[in-house]
Amino acid sequence: MDEEDQTKLIDLVKELVNRLLAESPQQQNPKNPNFEASLRYAVRILSSRLTPSIAPDAAAIAESIKRRLATQGRSSDALTFSDLFTKFSAKTGTGSVNNKWAVVYLLKIISDDRKSSKNAVNSSNLLPNFGLDGHGFSNGSNVSNGKENKEFGWRNNGVLMVSKDPENLREIAFKEFVNVVKEENEVSEEVIVRDVLYCCQGIDGRYVKFDASVDGYVLLHSVKVPRATRVMVRKLCELGWLFRKVKGYVSESMDRFPAEDVGTVGQAFCAALQDELLEYYKLLAVLEAQAMNPIPLVSESANAGNYLSLRRLSVWFAEPMVKMRLMAVLVDKCRVLRGGAMAGAIHLHAQHGDVLVHEFMTRLLKRVCSPLFEMVRSWVLEGELEDIFAEFFVVGQPVKAESLWREGYRLHSGMLPSFISQSLAQRILRTGKSINFLRVCCDDRGWADAATESAAAAGTTTRRGGLGYGETDALESLVIEAAKRIDKHLLDVIYKRYKFKEHCLAIKRYLLLGQGDFVQYLMDIVGPELSEPANTISSFKLAGLLESAIRSSNAQYDDPDILDRLRVKLMPHGTGDRGWDVFSLDYDARVPLDTLFTESVMARYLKIFNFLWKLRRVEHALIGAWKTMKPNCITSHLFTKLQHAVKLQLLSTLRRCQVLWDEMNHFVTNLQYYIMFEVLEVSWSNFSNEMEVAKDLDDLLAAHEKYLYSIFEKSLLGERSQSLYKSLFLLFDLILQFRSHADRLYEGIFELQSRTMESSLSSRDKSKSRRQTKDKSSEPGSWLSDGRKALTQRAGEFLRNMEQELDAIAKEYKSLLEGFLAQLPVQQHVDLKFLLFRLDFTEFYSQLRPNV
Amino acid sequence: MPREIITLQVGQCGNQIGMEFWKQLCLEHGISKEGILEDFATQGGDRKDVFFYQADDQHYIPRALLIDLEPRVINGIQNSEYRNLYNHENIFVSDHGGGAGNNWASGYHQGKGVEEDIMDMIDREADGSDSLEGFVLCHSIAGGTGSGMGSYLLETLNDRYSKKLVQTYSVFPNQMETSDVVVQPYNSLLTLKRLTLNADCVVVLDNTALNRIAVERLHLQNPTFGQTNSLVSTVMSASTTTLRYPGYMNNDLVGLLASLIPTPRCHFLMTGYTPLTVERQANVIRKTTVLDVMRRLLQVKSFAYSKFNELQLGILLTLPFSRRKILWFLLMLEQKKPSQAKYISILNIIQGEVDPTQVHESLQRIRERKLVNFIEWGPASIQVALSRKSPYVQTAHRVSGLMLASHTSIRHLFSKCLSQYEKLRKKQAFLDNYRKFPMFADNDLSEFDESRDIIESLVDEYKACESPDYIKWGMEDPDHVLTGEGNATGTVDPKLAV
Repeated sequence: MDEEDQTKLIDLVKELVNRLLAESPQQQNPKNPNFEASLRYAVRILSSRLTPSIAPDAAAIAESIKRRLATQGRSSDALTFSDLFTKFSAKTGTGSVNNKWAVVYLLKIISDDRKSSKNAVNSSNLLPNFGLDGHGFSNGSNVSNGKENKEFGWRNNGVLMVSKDPENLREIAFKEFVNVVKEENEVSEEVIVRDVLYCCQGIDGRYVKFDASVDGYVLLHSVKVPRATRVMVRKLCELGWLFRKVKGYVSESMDRFPAEDVGTVGQAFCAALQDELLEYYKLLAVLEAQAMNPIPLVSESANAGNYLSLRRLSVWFAEPMVKMRLMAVLVDKCRVLRGGAMAGAIHLHAQHGDVLVHEFMTRLLKRVCSPLFEMVRSWVLEGELEDIFAEFFVVGQPVKAESLWREGYRLHSGMLPSFISQSLAQRILRTGKSINFLRVCCDDRGWADAATESAAAAGTTTRRGGLGYGETDALESLVIEAAKRIDKHLLDVIYKRYKFKEHCLAIKRYLLLGQGDFVQYLMDIVGPELSEPANTISSFKLAGLLESAIRSSNAQYDDPDILDRLRVKLMPHGTGDRGWDVFSLDYDARVPLDTLFTESVMARYLKIFNFLWKLRRVEHALIGAWKTMKPNCITSHLFTKLQHAVKLQLLSTLRRCQVLWDEMNHFVTNLQYYIMFEVLEVSWSNFSNEMEVAKDLDDLLAAHEKYLYSIFEKSLLGERSQSLYKSLFLLFDLILQFRSHADRLYEGIFELQSRTMESSLSSRDKSKSRRQTKDKSSEPGSWLSDGRKALTQRAGEFLRNMEQELDAIAKEYKSLLEGFLAQLPVQQHVDLKFLLFRLDFTEFYSQLRPNV
Repeated sequence: MPREIITLQVGQCGNQIGMEFWKQLCLEHGISKEGILEDFATQGGDRKDVFFYQADDQHYIPRALLIDLEPRVINGIQNSEYRNLYNHENIFVSDHGGGAGNNWASGYHQGKGVEEDIMDMIDREADGSDSLEGFVLCHSIAGGTGSGMGSYLLETLNDRYSKKLVQTYSVFPNQMETSDVVVQPYNSLLTLKRLTLNADCVVVLDNTALNRIAVERLHLQNPTFGQTNSLVSTVMSASTTTLRYPGYMNNDLVGLLASLIPTPRCHFLMTGYTPLTVERQANVIRKTTVLDVMRRLLQVKSFAYSKFNELQLGILLTLPFSRRKILWFLLMLEQKKPSQAKYISILNIIQGEVDPTQVHESLQRIRERKLVNFIEWGPASIQVALSRKSPYVQTAHRVSGLMLASHTSIRHLFSKCLSQYEKLRKKQAFLDNYRKFPMFADNDLSEFDESRDIIESLVDEYKACESPDYIKWGMEDPDHVLTGEGNATGTVDPKLAV
């Protein structure tokens, strides 16, 4: 302050005091002794270090003024004020007020004062308030007085009066304190603060260094500081430790980006962390600037605003600490996690009641999830698995086309973030899978339209990044729309283009023997071939026979595509197997239907085929037997020449044979009716209904599975029907055995017939009427009579043997059948009462066993 | 390789029902009167080649032989709009055209005379088929040609095609009215012998019942032959649907018949069909309500004056095929239940859209109510075959059903034939007409006796079937057995009979 200014200032003060005093009516005179005193007082005040107890912040003051105006209902004044204040504070350069805050503050004080002394008429009371009566300002300049003086000042008007005097006790105390501090601290607080700030950027300071043994930044032990400071530093440096951790993670991840699979979610996470760190850096920069300001001694704190002490630092660090802690926790959590799992882990932390934390986490999650949501979007709408880092909760693996649907993709539950529900995830999986299935297996492009349509319907654009965390609803609706359309499209393709239903029907017709005429011809023409040992059978020849069976039955009118898929398949055979044991029909499902008709499905179809084929073969055999014993065979050639006993024998043998045939035929036909009505047709009609309502391929697969299962189980092919199935096959074998017996019997009878015809020929020639031959023995060619006797004897023997054999078969059949029937009602897993009902329609069997 | 079936239409009646049958088949397969496949008939899923074959110009020709000894009916066919359908080489009319004069012996004898010509035709047809299943003979048993010549053909077929099936659709005479054919009982008896011995299956079409159906059910005052014949053709075509529309089961005639005929002798089948309509009467029929049906059911019971009348088509009812259609169809079985009579077998062929689950339901009902009386010596059940319906024939009913059954009460029909024969024979009436022919020359009437014995044993066998001891029948009583088998050739060798 140079002289000129000084005098100018003095003049100004004089003038001010003069004016103030002049306003008072009794004292107009500048020579007034009061004037001198007032002037002195004013000068003293002005030169004092008296500072208001609030921080010099112009904006805050302005704000409080504005607020007060507003609360007083003078909002227009408040607006005006803020406007004026803006203009005022914007004014810089020459002629403008330098100390703007002070001016505003002064005005506020004045305004406050006026209010508090509203009743006081004299505004000039302002200065006299300070009590100018003198004794307070006696300038007791000795040290011993200082205290008393001060107390007095307090007592006076609540205004702190501090002496400027260097001899001031306080000053001395402060100095002493500073000395003590300096003594205690080898290094000054500024240095420590600076070190702490370094630490917080992960850099070792001069005194504060990272100590690996305690895993944290500590003040060097060699440095002599108070314990409190040490603790404080330690506490503040936690931020540094956390920062180090976060930063370490980020840079580590960054380094790995190209080489290793951090994953896009990881990258997004890093980027989000980086952004958060950026905020932190900004703060640190500000703080560092402030740290340049020396920390004033306690006594001089009044005019040094922006300095940093450790305590101030701890206040500054409060918020970053929270964030940094969160980040550190997340970093810890996510260190080993990737992709969806990472998002899920972060999501778990987002469920926090603290708004600050919640917001922070949401911000973070938005960033982190965006790649994930992008994956979902492109998966659901384009079927693309943009997931080079394996972060998505849908995992693809290279498989053959037929197992694409079942095994090509699956949910990786570890990667499924908890904010996506399991069912939604399933839907997401299926939708993308459907698209891929369409693309790979069905060679279809139509899904793209469906996808666009669904995106439009869901109100989302197909562009990238349309979705984000927190918009799970939008995601869900997109997925649902997409799923609905894609699934429908897929089913359309499966039904219409790939004719699923037609193929199912074809399988039903050919593999499940629904096309009766075809099966019959096939049975007719491959029958002889199949009686050969299995190893001599040529599948080539059988294929030819299959072809001719197709050509000669109504199957010829079927779709060539379907017929083309029908093949002969020979099962692996063991020694002693006949062709019957290994022959089977196969249906080549081809892509994409092999997804539905997988190998295991086809294997089950083949098993059913084998069962039905065997049943059909038994039926065929029985019908064949009937053909040999058909009505006009035996009865038209009566055995007139036979001995009565032999005739009886013949009659009884034939009857035995017929009745046994009837019983067997009844069993086989009713088993077939059961298979047709209760198994095939019912299952088929259920399947058809389910096909109608199937909404996606999984539904369809399930329906088909159910269809197949129901046939499989009801045909007694299931695991738990093993014993039934075995006894059924024993019955079948017995019936086949019966057939050969019946054939032999009738062969014998026909032979007998021709012999007797021969023997009666001569007599017939003689007589017009066949009935006039009376006595054979008297006829010429008497070898016949001898022959006749022998013949009769042989016939009797033959018939007796045959009857015995038939009896044996009948007995075995009866016991087997009884065993089979007895098992039917106790089957728990499959409802066989229909079968029993049919087999025992007239209660023939239950009457045989009245006790059951 | 279809299982071809060659149809032989013999005599006036045979040709008439045959013609109706072919008409019906053509309609169902979408074949025009000229034998050309209609444009719309492409998606039938049917098998035409069982009953038809295709000429070089692709037009369909029935595997049918039209045989008669007098030209009237066949001329009628040849002048009808169906004249181009048949293969003209397959039409046989006797040169002299005099017919058989309602004389079985004349028909039989003439049959022998033209055997070569007819067998040539049959052989030609048989050679033209890949795997001939058998023959169907349409005839009446009362007249001369159908019965006599039919009998001869049966014997010849049995001999020459012993491995093939022979099924007949045999029209039994109307026994309610006095017939204009006085020797009808003779003819019937002689034909029945061949039906018993030489046929594999005889579908009995009883004119008595047919007429009654026409009068009572269809409300026709004086049913014409055409009208009763259309009933017959309906039954015939329905009984062959499973052959013509292949399904899971019963795709050939053997399969169809085998289960129906467990014992060779009892191969006479009765039929029932519902809903029955003749074209003109369709409206009347469709108005029938359930209540109406109930009433009709009761009515039938009151018509018990002639037991066997109930057997034959007498059970035919016109039902509104609503929800309970199958049940109702099966319910009418009850009407065919004379006290002791039993079913040997039943096959129901249901045509149209049927939910397979309904079948089981209906069967259950029937069993619960014990509506059907089956034989006791073996297991038996109602077989149900589902078959498709021709898409080209529009019917008012979504579902129709045919029943083929072997029932022991059919023996009453044979007994009646026997008793009528006995009456006539006792009087030695009209035998001279027969003596004119070689079989009965020298007053050798043993053929009559033999036939009588065979029919009697047939009646006995049916009777035996009603008892649970059928298996033992004919064996515990050595004398009785002769009526079963031995007497067929008349007297037994005395030495062997000891």
